[in-house]
Parts: sequence; structure tokens; C-alpha cells
Amino acid sequence: MRVIVRTVSELCITVGTLIVLFVVYVLFWTGVRADSAMNEQIDQLHRQWSKGSVRPAAAAPGEQTVTATRPSPYYYGRAFAIMYIPRLGFTWNKPVLEGTGRDVLAQGLAHYAGTAQLGRAGNFAVAGHRRTYGDPFKDFPALRPGDAVVLTDGTTWFTYRIDKGPYKTVPTDVEVIDPVPRKSGYTRPGRYLTLTTCDPEWGHSHRLIVWAHLDSTQSVEAGEPEALRR
Amino acid sequence: MYGWIWRNLPGNAWVKALISLLLILAVVYILFQYVFPWAEPLMPFNDVTVDNQ
Repeated sequence: MRVIVRTVSELCITVGTLIVLFVVYVLFWTGVRADSAMNEQIDQLHRQWSKGSVRPAAAAPGEQTVTATRPSPYYYGRAFAIMYIPRLGFTWNKPVLEGTGRDVLAQGLAHYAGTAQLGRAGNFAVAGHRRTYGDPFKDFPALRPGDAVVLTDGTTWFTYRIDKGPYKTVPTDVEVIDPVPRKSGYTRPGRYLTLTTCDPEWGHSHRLIVWAHLDSTQSVEAGEPEALRR
Repeated sequence: MYGWIWRNLPGNAWVKALISLLLILAVVYILFQYVFPWAEPLMPFNDVTVDNQ
């Protein structure tokens, strides 16, 4: 009898410890791993850009691309840009990687393969974790129309301005990353940006979306865009 | 269960304590390195895209 009681209580303690360890892993350890992975990606981008091996800049809006440079392709899992959103904090900056697989999302923000390239005509769509893996989009609901979303690919600064959001939708609503998303209020093709994350914070029943349009571009030689100056 | 492990570890109390500590560390390492990364995608925090359904 005593042996049974002892074994059962030992099992309960073991399961409890396992659960606590798992919570520590999800809340803390994924963040530690993701932060170091993101910093590594950003360092790598800066190293690559300082060496001068950068992709050609996209044309500014309205500008006629006479030479029509073909955009260099993005490679799955490879970082190609850094995103800054002043509303999420002045030190908030995350790498943007190609593809939306789990492994990619664990290292930064993920660009939907098949959507437009950064700064080009179409919809540049990016997903990020709301919670766990460094909580990149934890304060997503704080985004408001007019907020700047700034990206750089090493040659050009792209400043997008949020027009609509956060808009709550269901996970199957793939229309939100269309070139001209129906719910966004945009009526004509343009250079747009879509950010997606999950909602509620720890759940997966819905998604939060914001839409932005390309407001201005400038070369990196011209310094940081106004949106990033304090 | 734990009593049985303790009784079957070799050496005196100090050696047993040391071996126990190493065993615990090994278990935690295996959990963090292999078991939790497998279990975590089954949780809902990962679904942040609109097309992976």
C-alpha cells in the first residue's frame, strides 16, 4: 500500500516538474534562442552590406524604371532586410527572412514567399510571432494608422505608413495578403505592406493584420529616414 | 522510484548526490534539446500566418 502511494506521489511530482520546465522553455528559453538568432541575422546582414554585396535597390514609387533591373531572388531562410517600427520601441528592430516555415519564424520575421519583394509593386507580406520566440509582435495591437514601418535592404530605406489596422480576421482569410487586399480599403494596385500575427496573444483562433503603403524611399547614403529620428 | 534509484547508485552519499545531479542535468538537457522542441509546435503560439492552415 505504502509503495503504491509513494510511487503515485512521485509520479505526480515528476509530471509537475515537467510542466514547470516546459513553461520555462516556452516563455524563457525560446526567447533567449530567438534573440540570439535574430541578433546573429542582423549582424550578418550588416557584415554583408558593409562588404558592398547588396542587391539593387527597388525603384522609388512613381519613378519610371528605364533600366528595369531584375530583382535578385530571395532564398528560403535567408535574411534580406531589417524592419524598424518606432511604435513598438525605438530599439525595436528585427531581421526579415524569406519563407514562413517554423524554422524561419524562430529566427525573425518571415516574408510570405510569393508575395511582392520589398519596395516593389504588389503586397510585401510579413508574419511574426506575437508570443514566444522573443515576442517580436507582442505590442501589435498598439499599431495605429499613420505609424511608420521602416525597412532597409542595405541600399535603400523604405518607409511604409500604416493605413488600416489592427484588423482581426480568421486564419483561413488568405485574401489579406493579396496584391490589393479587399478589406484594406485600397482600390488600386500599389506598393503595399501587410503584417500578420496571431490573436489572442496565446491562441491561434484569429489573426491580426495591419496594412501600409509605401510612403517614401531614400538611399542609405542619405541617412536614416525621418521616422527613425528621435 | 527515486528511492530505488538512490539505493542502486554506487558509492557513499556524496558520490550518490553527485551522480544524481548529473542525471538531473542530463534529463533537463534532453528535454530542452529534443523533447520540448518537438512538443512546442503542438501548442497554438506558432500559428501566425494566414496560409499555413
